[in-house]
Amino acid sequence: MQRLIDFITNSRVWRSFFRHGWPDNPLDRSLVMTTNVFFHLHPVKVSRKSLSAKYSLGLGLISAIVFGVLSITGLLLMFYYAPTVERAYGYITILQTQVPFGQLLRNMHRWGAHLMVISVVLHMARVFYTGAYKPPREFNWVVGVVLLILTLGASFTGYLLPWDQLAYWAITVGTSVAGYEPLMGAAIKSILLGGPEVGQEALTRFYALHVMLIPGAILLITSLHMWRVRKDGGLAAQDAEESEESGAKSEE
Amino acid sequence: MTDTNTKPESFSKDSTKTYSLVELVKAPTTMVDHGPDDTIFSFPVVALLELLLTLGVVALLLLMSLFVNAPLEEIANPNTTTDPAKAPWYFMGLQEMLEHGHPTLMAVLMPTLMVLFVIAIPYIDNSRTGSGVWFTSKRGKRITLYTAVYILVVMPLYIYLDTTFPLREMLRGQLPDFLLQAIIPALIMGAIVILPLMVLWRTQPTAREVVMTLFTVLFFSAIVFTLAGFLFRGPGFELYWPWNMPGDYSPWDNL
Repeated sequence: MQRLIDFITNSRVWRSFFRHGWPDNPLDRSLVMTTNVFFHLHPVKVSRKSLSAKYSLGLGLISAIVFGVLSITGLLLMFYYAPTVERAYGYITILQTQVPFGQLLRNMHRWGAHLMVISVVLHMARVFYTGAYKPPREFNWVVGVVLLILTLGASFTGYLLPWDQLAYWAITVGTSVAGYEPLMGAAIKSILLGGPEVGQEALTRFYALHVMLIPGAILLITSLHMWRVRKDGGLAAQDAEESEESGAKSEE
Repeated sequence: MTDTNTKPESFSKDSTKTYSLVELVKAPTTMVDHGPDDTIFSFPVVALLELLLTLGVVALLLLMSLFVNAPLEEIANPNTTTDPAKAPWYFMGLQEMLEHGHPTLMAVLMPTLMVLFVIAIPYIDNSRTGSGVWFTSKRGKRITLYTAVYILVVMPLYIYLDTTFPLREMLRGQLPDFLLQAIIPALIMGAIVILPLMVLWRTQPTAREVVMTLFTVLFFSAIVFTLAGFLFRGPGFELYWPWNMPGDYSPWDNL
Protein backbone atom coordinates (compact mmCIF):
# COMPACT_ATOMS: atom_id res chain seq x y z
CA MET A 1 0.00 0.00 0.00
CA GLN A 2 2.69 2.48 1.05
CA ARG A 3 4.59 1.61 -2.12
CA LEU A 4 1.51 2.29 -4.22
CA ILE A 5 1.03 5.68 -2.55
CA ASP A 6 4.68 6.49 -3.04
CA PHE A 7 4.46 5.45 -6.66
CA ILE A 8 1.48 7.71 -7.28
CA THR A 9 2.81 10.71 -5.37
CA ASN A 10 6.21 10.43 -7.02
CA SER A 11 4.81 10.05 -10.51
CA ARG A 12 5.34 12.89 -12.98
CA VAL A 13 1.62 13.37 -13.36
CA TRP A 14 1.03 13.83 -9.60
CA ARG A 15 4.06 16.07 -9.23
CA SER A 16 2.88 18.24 -12.08
CA PHE A 17 -0.36 18.85 -10.12
CA PHE A 18 1.05 19.27 -6.63
CA ARG A 19 4.39 20.95 -6.21
CA HIS A 20 4.64 20.26 -2.52
CA GLY A 21 4.70 17.31 -0.16
CA TRP A 22 2.05 16.41 2.42
CA PRO A 23 1.59 19.64 4.41
CA ASP A 24 2.51 18.39 7.88
CA ASN A 25 5.67 20.48 8.26
CA PRO A 26 6.43 24.22 7.99
CA LEU A 27 8.14 23.94 4.60
CA ASP A 28 5.31 22.10 2.91
CA ARG A 29 2.70 24.26 4.67
CA SER A 30 4.43 27.26 3.14
CA LEU A 31 4.69 25.63 -0.26
CA VAL A 32 1.04 24.62 -0.22
CA MET A 33 0.25 28.32 -0.22
CA THR A 34 2.99 29.77 -2.40
CA THR A 35 2.63 27.17 -5.14
CA ASN A 36 -1.15 27.54 -5.28
CA VAL A 37 -3.52 30.03 -6.83
CA PHE A 38 -4.93 30.57 -3.33
CA PHE A 39 -1.75 32.48 -2.56
CA HIS A 40 -3.63 35.40 -4.12
CA LEU A 41 -6.09 35.20 -1.24
CA HIS A 42 -3.97 34.27 1.76
CA PRO A 43 -0.37 34.71 2.78
CA VAL A 44 1.55 31.71 4.13
CA LYS A 45 0.92 32.86 7.67
CA VAL A 46 -1.93 34.96 8.97
CA SER A 47 -2.24 36.91 12.17
CA ARG A 48 -4.24 35.20 14.88
CA LYS A 49 -6.13 38.45 15.50
CA SER A 50 -7.49 38.64 11.97
CA LEU A 51 -9.12 35.23 12.46
CA SER A 52 -11.09 36.41 15.47
CA ALA A 53 -14.80 36.02 14.75
CA LYS A 54 -15.46 38.83 17.22
CA TYR A 55 -13.46 41.17 15.03
CA SER A 56 -14.65 40.56 11.47
CA LEU A 57 -17.86 38.58 12.12
CA GLY A 58 -16.90 36.78 8.90
CA LEU A 59 -19.22 39.05 6.94
CA GLY A 60 -17.03 39.59 3.88
CA LEU A 61 -16.47 35.88 3.51
CA ILE A 62 -20.17 35.17 4.04
CA SER A 63 -20.96 37.62 1.21
CA ALA A 64 -18.52 35.80 -1.08
CA ILE A 65 -19.94 32.39 -0.11
CA VAL A 66 -23.51 33.52 -0.75
CA PHE A 67 -22.38 34.96 -4.09
CA GLY A 68 -21.04 31.49 -4.89
CA VAL A 69 -24.35 29.85 -3.90
CA LEU A 70 -26.22 32.41 -6.02
CA SER A 71 -23.99 31.73 -9.03
CA ILE A 72 -24.57 27.99 -8.85
CA THR A 73 -28.32 28.13 -8.17
CA GLY A 74 -28.67 30.92 -10.73
CA LEU A 75 -26.92 28.88 -13.40
CA LEU A 76 -29.24 25.94 -12.68
CA LEU A 77 -32.29 28.22 -12.80
CA MET A 78 -31.25 29.35 -16.29
CA PHE A 79 -32.00 25.84 -17.57
CA TYR A 80 -35.67 26.39 -16.83
CA TYR A 81 -36.22 29.95 -17.90
CA ALA A 82 -36.80 32.13 -20.93
CA PRO A 83 -36.81 35.92 -20.67
CA THR A 84 -39.95 36.52 -22.69
CA VAL A 85 -43.15 38.10 -21.47
CA GLU A 86 -45.19 35.15 -22.75
CA ARG A 87 -43.12 32.35 -21.25
CA ALA A 88 -41.19 33.61 -18.22
CA TYR A 89 -44.02 33.17 -15.73
CA GLY A 90 -44.97 29.78 -17.14
CA TYR A 91 -41.42 28.57 -16.70
CA ILE A 92 -41.44 29.60 -13.04
CA THR A 93 -44.61 27.61 -12.37
CA ILE A 94 -43.16 24.61 -14.22
CA LEU A 95 -39.97 24.97 -12.18
CA GLN A 96 -41.95 25.04 -8.94
CA THR A 97 -44.35 22.20 -9.68
CA GLN A 98 -42.65 19.79 -12.09
CA VAL A 99 -38.88 20.14 -11.86
CA PRO A 100 -37.32 18.00 -9.08
CA PHE A 101 -36.10 20.35 -6.32
CA GLY A 102 -37.15 23.27 -8.55
CA GLN A 103 -38.97 25.08 -5.76
CA LEU A 104 -36.03 24.49 -3.41
CA LEU A 105 -33.64 25.87 -6.01
CA ARG A 106 -35.70 29.00 -6.48
CA ASN A 107 -36.07 29.44 -2.71
CA MET A 108 -32.32 29.21 -2.20
CA HIS A 109 -31.70 31.77 -4.93
CA ARG A 110 -34.31 34.13 -3.50
CA TRP A 111 -33.26 33.95 0.17
CA GLY A 112 -29.61 33.92 -0.86
CA ALA A 113 -30.14 37.18 -2.74
CA HIS A 114 -31.67 38.84 0.32
CA LEU A 115 -28.94 37.44 2.56
CA MET A 116 -26.24 38.82 0.27
CA VAL A 117 -27.69 42.35 0.40
CA ILE A 118 -27.82 42.12 4.20
CA SER A 119 -24.33 40.64 4.61
CA VAL A 120 -22.75 43.16 2.24
CA VAL A 121 -24.36 46.09 4.08
CA LEU A 122 -23.33 44.69 7.47
CA HIS A 123 -19.83 44.06 6.13
CA MET A 124 -19.62 47.74 5.22
CA ALA A 125 -20.79 48.73 8.71
CA ARG A 126 -18.24 46.37 10.27
CA VAL A 127 -15.41 47.81 8.18
CA PHE A 128 -16.51 51.30 9.09
CA TYR A 129 -16.84 50.79 12.84
CA THR A 130 -13.52 48.96 13.09
CA GLY A 131 -11.85 51.81 11.20
CA ALA A 132 -10.58 49.37 8.60
CA TYR A 133 -10.96 51.95 5.80
CA LYS A 134 -8.05 54.02 7.13
CA PRO A 135 -4.81 54.36 5.16
CA PRO A 136 -3.55 52.41 3.30
CA ARG A 137 -6.98 50.86 2.72
CA GLU A 138 -8.86 53.93 1.41
CA PHE A 139 -9.14 52.71 -2.15
CA ASN A 140 -10.40 49.29 -1.14
CA TRP A 141 -13.22 50.99 0.75
CA VAL A 142 -14.22 52.73 -2.49
CA VAL A 143 -14.05 49.38 -4.32
CA GLY A 144 -16.32 48.00 -1.61
CA VAL A 145 -18.88 50.77 -2.15
CA VAL A 146 -18.91 49.91 -5.85
CA LEU A 147 -19.51 46.25 -4.93
CA LEU A 148 -22.41 47.25 -2.66
CA ILE A 149 -24.04 49.16 -5.51
CA LEU A 150 -23.48 46.22 -7.88
CA THR A 151 -25.04 43.87 -5.32
CA LEU A 152 -28.16 46.03 -5.15
CA GLY A 153 -28.18 46.11 -8.97
CA ALA A 154 -27.90 42.34 -9.20
CA SER A 155 -30.77 41.84 -6.78
CA PHE A 156 -32.94 44.50 -8.40
CA THR A 157 -32.52 43.17 -11.95
CA GLY A 158 -33.26 39.64 -10.76
CA TYR A 159 -36.44 40.81 -9.05
CA LEU A 160 -38.19 41.33 -12.41
CA LEU A 161 -37.45 37.92 -13.89
CA PRO A 162 -40.36 35.86 -12.41
CA TRP A 163 -42.66 38.29 -14.24
CA ASP A 164 -45.43 38.18 -11.64
CA GLN A 165 -47.39 41.09 -10.21
CA LEU A 166 -44.90 41.53 -7.39
CA ALA A 167 -41.96 41.74 -9.81
CA TYR A 168 -43.73 43.95 -12.32
CA TRP A 169 -44.90 46.61 -9.89
CA ALA A 170 -41.74 46.60 -7.79
CA ILE A 171 -39.66 47.33 -10.89
CA THR A 172 -42.19 49.89 -12.10
CA VAL A 173 -41.97 51.71 -8.77
CA GLY A 174 -38.19 51.26 -8.56
CA THR A 175 -37.44 52.58 -12.02
CA SER A 176 -39.87 55.49 -11.68
CA VAL A 177 -37.57 56.79 -8.92
CA ALA A 178 -34.78 57.04 -11.53
CA GLY A 179 -37.12 59.18 -13.61
CA TYR A 180 -37.15 61.91 -10.94
CA GLU A 181 -33.58 62.86 -11.72
CA PRO A 182 -34.03 66.15 -13.57
CA LEU A 183 -31.12 66.06 -16.01
CA MET A 184 -30.59 62.47 -17.09
CA GLY A 185 -33.47 60.74 -15.29
CA ALA A 186 -35.59 60.14 -18.37
CA ALA A 187 -32.55 58.91 -20.29
CA ILE A 188 -31.47 56.51 -17.51
CA LYS A 189 -34.99 55.16 -17.25
CA SER A 190 -35.33 54.54 -20.97
CA ILE A 191 -31.88 52.92 -21.14
CA LEU A 192 -32.88 50.57 -18.30
CA LEU A 193 -36.34 49.77 -19.60
CA GLY A 194 -35.77 50.07 -23.35
CA GLY A 195 -39.11 51.83 -23.58
CA PRO A 196 -41.59 54.01 -21.71
CA GLU A 197 -42.72 51.24 -19.37
CA VAL A 198 -41.77 47.79 -18.09
CA GLY A 199 -42.24 45.33 -20.96
CA GLN A 200 -40.41 42.82 -23.13
CA GLU A 201 -37.46 45.15 -23.73
CA ALA A 202 -37.04 45.70 -20.00
CA LEU A 203 -37.19 41.96 -19.34
CA THR A 204 -34.52 41.27 -22.00
CA ARG A 205 -32.26 43.97 -20.61
CA PHE A 206 -32.72 42.99 -16.98
CA TYR A 207 -32.01 39.37 -17.87
CA ALA A 208 -28.76 40.22 -19.65
CA LEU A 209 -27.70 42.47 -16.78
CA HIS A 210 -28.69 39.90 -14.18
CA VAL A 211 -27.09 36.75 -15.56
CA MET A 212 -24.00 38.19 -17.26
CA LEU A 213 -22.99 41.80 -16.88
CA ILE A 214 -23.48 42.42 -13.16
CA PRO A 215 -22.28 39.02 -11.84
CA GLY A 216 -19.28 39.24 -14.18
CA ALA A 217 -18.47 42.69 -12.83
CA ILE A 218 -18.95 41.49 -9.24
CA LEU A 219 -16.59 38.56 -9.85
CA LEU A 220 -13.89 40.78 -11.36
CA ILE A 221 -14.18 43.55 -8.80
CA THR A 222 -14.37 41.09 -5.89
CA SER A 223 -11.08 39.63 -7.13
CA LEU A 224 -9.62 43.12 -7.04
CA HIS A 225 -11.16 43.69 -3.59
CA MET A 226 -9.62 40.52 -2.12
CA TRP A 227 -6.25 40.99 -3.79
CA ARG A 228 -6.23 44.51 -2.45
CA VAL A 229 -6.97 43.30 1.10
CA ARG A 230 -3.80 41.22 0.85
CA LYS A 231 -1.73 43.99 -0.71
CA ASP A 232 -2.82 46.43 1.99
CA GLY A 233 -1.49 44.10 4.67
CA GLY A 234 -4.41 41.80 5.46
CA LEU A 235 -7.21 42.63 7.86
CA ALA A 236 -6.78 45.79 9.89
CA ALA A 237 -7.09 43.72 13.08
CA GLN A 238 -3.32 43.23 12.94
CA ASP A 239 -2.74 46.95 13.36
CA ALA A 240 -4.88 46.97 16.46
CA GLU A 241 -2.10 46.55 19.04
CA GLU A 242 -0.44 49.86 18.32
CA SER A 243 -3.69 51.77 18.25
CA GLU A 244 -4.90 50.22 21.47
CA GLU A 245 -1.73 51.39 23.13
CA SER A 246 -1.89 54.88 21.69
CA GLY A 247 -5.60 54.95 22.51
CA ALA A 248 -4.84 54.04 26.11
CA LYS A 249 -2.23 56.78 26.26
CA SER A 250 -4.65 59.43 25.03
CA GLU A 251 -7.26 58.26 27.51
CA GLU A 252 -4.92 58.91 30.42
CA MET B 1 22.53 35.81 18.20
CA THR B 2 24.37 37.82 20.83
CA ASP B 3 22.30 37.51 23.99
CA THR B 4 19.97 34.55 23.97
CA ASN B 5 18.79 35.09 27.53
CA THR B 6 16.39 37.93 26.79
CA LYS B 7 13.07 37.33 25.09
CA PRO B 8 13.82 36.17 21.57
CA GLU B 9 13.46 38.63 18.75
CA SER B 10 11.87 41.37 20.85
CA PHE B 11 13.03 44.67 19.46
CA SER B 12 12.89 46.68 22.65
CA LYS B 13 12.99 50.46 22.67
CA ASP B 14 15.83 50.86 25.11
CA SER B 15 18.23 48.20 23.98
CA THR B 16 21.91 48.82 24.55
CA LYS B 17 22.70 48.44 20.91
CA THR B 18 23.60 51.66 19.18
CA TYR B 19 22.47 52.74 15.77
CA SER B 20 23.77 55.26 13.31
CA LEU B 21 21.44 57.45 11.34
CA VAL B 22 21.71 56.73 7.67
CA GLU B 23 18.58 58.25 6.23
CA LEU B 24 15.14 59.47 7.30
CA VAL B 25 12.33 57.69 5.54
CA LYS B 26 8.62 58.46 5.99
CA ALA B 27 7.21 54.96 6.02
CA PRO B 28 5.85 52.54 8.63
CA THR B 29 8.59 49.98 8.26
CA THR B 30 10.21 50.14 11.67
CA MET B 31 9.99 47.10 13.91
CA VAL B 32 10.74 49.07 17.10
CA ASP B 33 8.56 47.95 20.00
CA HIS B 34 7.15 45.09 17.97
CA GLY B 35 7.53 41.56 19.17
CA PRO B 36 7.40 38.63 16.80
CA ASP B 37 4.04 38.54 15.04
CA ASP B 38 1.42 36.25 16.49
CA THR B 39 0.76 34.27 13.33
CA ILE B 40 -0.29 30.78 12.32
CA PHE B 41 -0.02 28.87 9.06
CA SER B 42 -2.91 29.58 6.67
CA PHE B 43 -2.97 25.91 5.83
CA PRO B 44 -4.80 24.04 7.21
CA VAL B 45 -6.48 26.17 9.94
CA VAL B 46 -7.74 29.06 7.79
CA ALA B 47 -8.75 26.71 4.99
CA LEU B 48 -10.75 24.60 7.45
CA LEU B 49 -12.42 27.64 9.03
CA GLU B 50 -13.46 28.84 5.60
CA LEU B 51 -14.79 25.43 4.68
CA LEU B 52 -16.78 25.29 7.92
CA LEU B 53 -18.27 28.74 7.37
CA THR B 54 -19.22 27.74 3.81
CA LEU B 55 -20.96 24.63 5.08
CA GLY B 56 -22.74 26.64 7.77
CA VAL B 57 -24.01 29.31 5.39
CA VAL B 58 -25.17 26.76 2.81
CA ALA B 59 -26.87 24.68 5.52
CA LEU B 60 -28.67 27.77 6.82
CA LEU B 61 -29.89 28.74 3.34
CA LEU B 62 -30.95 25.19 2.59
CA LEU B 63 -32.86 24.90 5.84
CA MET B 64 -34.69 28.17 5.30
CA SER B 65 -35.47 27.20 1.70
CA LEU B 66 -36.96 23.90 2.86
CA PHE B 67 -39.51 25.65 5.06
CA VAL B 68 -40.20 29.03 3.45
CA ASN B 69 -41.21 29.33 -0.19
CA ALA B 70 -40.25 32.29 -2.37
CA PRO B 71 -43.35 34.35 -3.17
CA LEU B 72 -45.01 34.13 -6.55
CA GLU B 73 -48.15 36.11 -7.36
CA GLU B 74 -50.31 36.05 -10.49
CA ILE B 75 -48.73 36.78 -13.86
CA ALA B 76 -47.75 40.42 -14.41
CA ASN B 77 -50.66 42.57 -15.50
CA PRO B 78 -49.89 46.20 -16.43
CA ASN B 79 -53.60 47.03 -16.16
CA THR B 80 -54.12 46.14 -12.49
CA THR B 81 -51.97 48.02 -10.02
CA THR B 82 -51.21 46.22 -6.78
CA ASP B 83 -52.03 48.12 -3.60
CA PRO B 84 -49.60 49.01 -2.16
CA ALA B 85 -47.05 48.91 -4.99
CA LYS B 86 -43.68 48.57 -3.31
CA ALA B 87 -40.11 48.47 -4.56
CA PRO B 88 -37.84 45.60 -3.37
CA TRP B 89 -37.26 45.92 0.38
CA TYR B 90 -33.75 47.42 0.14
CA PHE B 91 -35.18 50.35 -1.86
CA MET B 92 -38.09 50.88 0.54
CA GLY B 93 -36.02 53.46 2.40
CA LEU B 94 -35.96 55.54 -0.77
CA GLN B 95 -39.65 55.04 -1.40
CA GLU B 96 -40.38 56.05 2.19
CA MET B 97 -38.28 59.20 1.77
CA LEU B 98 -40.35 60.12 -1.28
CA GLU B 99 -43.34 60.46 1.04
CA HIS B 100 -41.65 63.28 2.89
CA GLY B 101 -40.62 65.78 0.26
CA HIS B 102 -39.92 66.76 -3.31
CA PRO B 103 -38.75 63.79 -5.44
CA THR B 104 -35.66 65.62 -6.69
CA LEU B 105 -34.60 66.26 -3.09
CA MET B 106 -35.52 62.87 -1.66
CA ALA B 107 -34.79 60.49 -4.55
CA VAL B 108 -31.88 62.25 -6.22
CA LEU B 109 -30.07 64.84 -4.10
CA MET B 110 -30.10 62.99 -0.77
CA PRO B 111 -29.09 59.54 -2.12
CA THR B 112 -26.33 61.14 -4.21
CA LEU B 113 -25.07 63.00 -1.14
CA MET B 114 -25.17 59.80 0.93
CA VAL B 115 -23.20 57.75 -1.62
CA LEU B 116 -20.67 60.56 -2.07
CA PHE B 117 -20.27 60.85 1.71
CA VAL B 118 -19.73 57.10 2.10
CA ILE B 119 -17.12 57.10 -0.69
CA ALA B 120 -15.40 60.13 0.83
CA ILE B 121 -15.15 58.67 4.37
CA PRO B 122 -11.51 57.46 4.16
CA TYR B 123 -10.47 60.77 2.63
CA ILE B 124 -12.17 62.86 5.33
CA ASP B 125 -10.73 60.77 8.16
CA ASN B 126 -7.24 59.77 7.06
CA SER B 127 -5.62 59.26 10.44
CA ARG B 128 -4.17 55.82 11.08
CA THR B 129 -4.99 55.58 14.76
CA GLY B 130 -7.74 53.23 15.79
CA SER B 131 -7.50 51.09 12.69
CA GLY B 132 -8.64 47.56 13.48
CA VAL B 133 -10.37 48.42 16.77
CA TRP B 134 -14.14 48.38 17.13
CA PHE B 135 -15.34 51.99 17.58
CA THR B 136 -11.69 53.11 18.03
CA SER B 137 -12.08 53.97 21.73
CA LYS B 138 -14.52 53.94 24.64
CA ARG B 139 -15.50 57.46 23.65
CA GLY B 140 -16.16 56.27 20.10
CA LYS B 141 -18.39 53.54 21.44
CA ARG B 142 -20.37 56.05 23.48
CA ILE B 143 -20.69 58.43 20.51
CA THR B 144 -22.01 55.61 18.32
CA LEU B 145 -24.45 54.41 20.98
CA TYR B 146 -25.88 57.87 21.75
CA THR B 147 -26.17 58.78 18.07
CA ALA B 148 -27.88 55.48 17.27
CA VAL B 149 -30.40 55.90 20.10
CA TYR B 150 -31.02 59.51 19.06
CA ILE B 151 -31.74 58.48 15.46
CA LEU B 152 -33.89 55.52 16.50
CA VAL B 153 -36.08 57.95 18.46
CA VAL B 154 -36.07 61.01 16.21
CA MET B 155 -36.49 59.41 12.78
CA PRO B 156 -39.58 57.27 13.53
CA LEU B 157 -41.07 60.33 15.24
CA TYR B 158 -40.36 62.45 12.17
CA ILE B 159 -41.91 59.85 9.85
CA TYR B 160 -44.98 59.59 12.08
CA LEU B 161 -45.49 63.34 12.56
CA ASP B 162 -44.83 64.19 8.92
CA THR B 163 -47.42 61.61 7.85
CA THR B 164 -50.17 62.39 10.36
CA PHE B 165 -49.73 66.18 10.41
CA PRO B 166 -48.45 66.85 6.91
CA LEU B 167 -47.53 70.49 7.23
CA ARG B 168 -46.62 70.43 3.56
CA GLU B 169 -50.18 69.53 2.56
CA MET B 170 -51.93 71.81 5.07
CA LEU B 171 -50.08 74.89 3.87
CA ARG B 172 -50.40 74.02 0.19
CA GLY B 173 -51.31 77.15 -1.78
CA GLN B 174 -50.38 79.49 1.06
CA LEU B 175 -46.65 79.16 0.54
CA PRO B 176 -44.74 78.52 -2.70
CA ASP B 177 -44.56 74.81 -3.50
CA PHE B 178 -40.81 74.80 -3.82
CA LEU B 179 -40.43 76.13 -0.27
CA LEU B 180 -42.89 73.60 1.14
CA GLN B 181 -41.71 70.49 -0.70
CA ALA B 182 -37.98 71.06 -0.97
CA ILE B 183 -36.58 73.78 1.30
CA ILE B 184 -38.49 72.96 4.50
CA PRO B 185 -37.92 69.16 4.37
CA ALA B 186 -34.27 69.78 3.56
CA LEU B 187 -33.96 72.12 6.56
CA ILE B 188 -35.64 69.61 8.89
CA MET B 189 -33.41 66.77 7.67
CA GLY B 190 -30.38 69.05 7.92
CA ALA B 191 -31.29 70.00 11.50
CA ILE B 192 -31.66 66.35 12.51
CA VAL B 193 -28.22 65.57 11.11
CA ILE B 194 -26.51 68.70 12.45
CA LEU B 195 -27.81 68.46 16.03
CA PRO B 196 -25.62 65.54 17.21
CA LEU B 197 -22.66 67.16 15.45
CA MET B 198 -23.22 70.38 17.39
CA VAL B 199 -23.29 68.46 20.65
CA LEU B 200 -20.12 66.63 19.62
CA TRP B 201 -18.41 69.82 18.49
CA ARG B 202 -18.14 71.16 22.03
CA THR B 203 -15.91 68.23 23.02
CA GLN B 204 -13.30 68.86 20.31
CA PRO B 205 -13.84 65.66 18.33
CA THR B 206 -11.35 64.00 16.02
CA ALA B 207 -12.14 63.55 12.32
CA ARG B 208 -12.88 59.90 13.10
CA GLU B 209 -15.50 60.86 15.69
CA VAL B 210 -17.20 63.31 13.34
CA VAL B 211 -17.31 60.72 10.57
CA MET B 212 -18.52 58.10 13.05
CA THR B 213 -21.43 60.34 14.10
CA LEU B 214 -22.40 61.04 10.48
CA PHE B 215 -22.13 57.39 9.44
CA THR B 216 -24.22 56.30 12.41
CA VAL B 217 -26.87 58.89 11.51
CA LEU B 218 -26.86 57.60 7.93
CA PHE B 219 -26.79 53.89 8.77
CA PHE B 220 -29.52 53.94 11.40
CA SER B 221 -31.69 56.36 9.40
CA ALA B 222 -31.43 53.95 6.48
CA ILE B 223 -32.58 51.12 8.76
CA VAL B 224 -35.49 53.18 10.14
CA PHE B 225 -36.68 54.34 6.72
CA THR B 226 -36.31 50.88 5.18
CA LEU B 227 -38.28 49.26 8.01
CA ALA B 228 -40.91 52.01 7.94
CA GLY B 229 -41.43 51.57 4.21
CA PHE B 230 -41.22 47.81 4.18
CA LEU B 231 -43.08 46.83 7.36
CA PHE B 232 -45.28 49.79 8.35
CA ARG B 233 -46.77 50.84 5.03
CA GLY B 234 -50.01 49.16 4.01
CA PRO B 235 -52.69 49.75 1.37
CA GLY B 236 -52.70 53.31 0.05
CA PHE B 237 -49.15 53.54 1.44
CA GLU B 238 -50.68 54.52 4.80
CA LEU B 239 -48.94 53.84 8.10
CA TYR B 240 -50.17 50.74 9.96
CA TRP B 241 -48.78 48.37 12.55
CA PRO B 242 -47.25 45.44 10.62
CA TRP B 243 -49.45 42.95 12.53
CA ASN B 244 -52.58 45.01 12.03
CA MET B 245 -52.75 45.53 8.28
CA PRO B 246 -56.20 45.99 6.69
CA GLY B 247 -57.50 43.22 4.44
CA ASP B 248 -55.28 40.24 3.81
CA TYR B 249 -52.22 42.32 3.01
CA SER B 250 -49.01 41.23 4.72
CA PRO B 251 -45.79 43.18 4.16
CA TRP B 252 -43.82 39.93 4.37
CA ASP B 253 -45.39 38.73 1.12
CA ASN B 254 -43.32 41.39 -0.65
CA LEU B 255 -40.02 39.65 0.01
